Amino acid sequence: MKKPNKKRKIVSYLVITLSAILMLTPFVTAALNSLKSYSQYTAIPVEWIPNPFHWKNYLEVWQMTDFAQYGLNSMIVTVLSVAGALLSCSMVAYAFARLDFPFKQSLFLMVLGTLMIPPVVMIIPQFIIFKNMGFLDTLVPLWLLEWLAQPFGIFLMRQAFLAIPKEYEEAAKLDGCSPFQTYWRIFLPMCKPQLATLTIFTFMTKWNEIMAPVIYLSSEEKFTLPIGVLSMSGAWFGQEQYLVAAALMTLVPILIVFLFTEKFFVKGASSSGLK
Amino acid sequence: MRLGKARERTHTKPFKLSNEGKWGILMISPYLIHFIVFILFTMFASLYFSFSHYDMLNAPQWVGLENYTKLVNDTVFWKALGNTVYFTVLFVPAQTILALILASALNQQLRGLKLYRMAHFIPVISSWTVVLYVADAIFNPRFGLANDLLLKLGMQPQQWLNDEHLVIPVLVVVAVWKGIGYMMVIFLAGLQNVPEDLYEAADIEGAGVLQKFRHVTIPLISGTTFLVLVLSTITTFQAFEQIYVMTGNSGDITAAGGPDNSSMVLMLYLFQQGFAFLKMGYASAIAWILFIMLFIITLIQVKLQNKWVHYEK
Repeated sequence: MKKPNKKRKIVSYLVITLSAILMLTPFVTAALNSLKSYSQYTAIPVEWIPNPFHWKNYLEVWQMTDFAQYGLNSMIVTVLSVAGALLSCSMVAYAFARLDFPFKQSLFLMVLGTLMIPPVVMIIPQFIIFKNMGFLDTLVPLWLLEWLAQPFGIFLMRQAFLAIPKEYEEAAKLDGCSPFQTYWRIFLPMCKPQLATLTIFTFMTKWNEIMAPVIYLSSEEKFTLPIGVLSMSGAWFGQEQYLVAAALMTLVPILIVFLFTEKFFVKGASSSGLK
Repeated sequence: MRLGKARERTHTKPFKLSNEGKWGILMISPYLIHFIVFILFTMFASLYFSFSHYDMLNAPQWVGLENYTKLVNDTVFWKALGNTVYFTVLFVPAQTILALILASALNQQLRGLKLYRMAHFIPVISSWTVVLYVADAIFNPRFGLANDLLLKLGMQPQQWLNDEHLVIPVLVVVAVWKGIGYMMVIFLAGLQNVPEDLYEAADIEGAGVLQKFRHVTIPLISGTTFLVLVLSTITTFQAFEQIYVMTGNSGDITAAGGPDNSSMVLMLYLFQQGFAFLKMGYASAIAWILFIMLFIITLIQVKLQNKWVHYEK
């Protein structure tokens, strides 16, 4: 942090205040739009503040669409993904950080290498694998890969395990713990901040994901929220205020998770630029 | 006999696993499965498909270079390539420069720092579907705020996403708006590693704000900048979700990329060919061309970094 300097501070406040306004204006406008009737919504010149407020738009989205079903699907995918990422990444990372086994170095280089491969070349064969496994039009392809330790999580957790002093391991060994017990009972509980970081990142990615649902899901009752809300636009043509309300509601759960884990989000984001 | 025994011992040694070794292999097995099935196997399969006709109903049929030669003569492919490059060239520098300016402004003891940071994070944590309807409040051609503003200033209203020439710049503006908070935090972490005494030394020499930025800040965060540039180029080149959501119609994949293919990008074209038209071989060829281009771009960026990235000894 730099020392206070009045002129610099005033300029900085101006820059970030202006920027924050630019960031939030579209949300505020959309939120106001979601509370309008269609004629208020499309009025020209634009009426900023709805008069009166149509709060029931939000209720009607729940009553008149499959919004609840989409939400449930999104929840299933997100919760299973987070659980899978936490378990698999921490377990693999623990082995890489604390255990000795053949080819460990080259295997870890391999993890590094796979991080560089763009996912684009794998999309089509992955689709064919899941098709042959009979998982098309199910939620399984949306969360299954998270149970197979994604590299970002392995890195994050490995750093955490490396930082723990050796003495814990030796004490556990004396007590007769197997390597797995040592990981599960002693090391894992010491890595809560990193687990929180992994949770918010996996939650965010899966809650917002569009590509995989577009590829794998075809029946509407399987849709997750992002593509479910998109697919509503046909039915709500000429009633777009409902779509805005539905979209904004999908933001609420991730916003809540984010508010509780903001600190860990910042940590994860900043570490992704400092490899 | 002795010799035989010795040879046998050296031969068997690497395969004799200690207890810890067994646990180690067992515990990394999720990643081993991931690597073998979902990375190694898929890479080979995708390469094989790219030399085949494959509609997923019949077995892949080897056609040699046909997919690739067809791509060379495919005007939509070239348009998609051009649009992808255009998008990246507009987006990456704009986002990097603006994120650096914001991070520099935030990198001091200010009141409400956390609130400012959170304001910039809300677009980051929003899905593209949310962004679509939120951006519509601004860029709707009939009742969006942007046109309202233009009219008030006595200017012509625009068609924004429906305009062939405006669609990519508008998409870039929205992408910068969505992604800048994330990049800002990466830069903030880089800036906080710059030693304070360097600024003090510059102060003593009478350097102004811009001079300090140019001669102290920029060189010292060049490592971070390099990573940001490489990462955002790679991601932007593979961008799909934004174009699919913002230029499509109710999630119809064949409708996206308009108007008149002016926002068609490589990933979207790959998706249309593969998942809408079931030309999996053709789509795989596009995937490999994308992959090779990304590889070359990263290589060039790594080569260029020696010219400008400053690492502390």
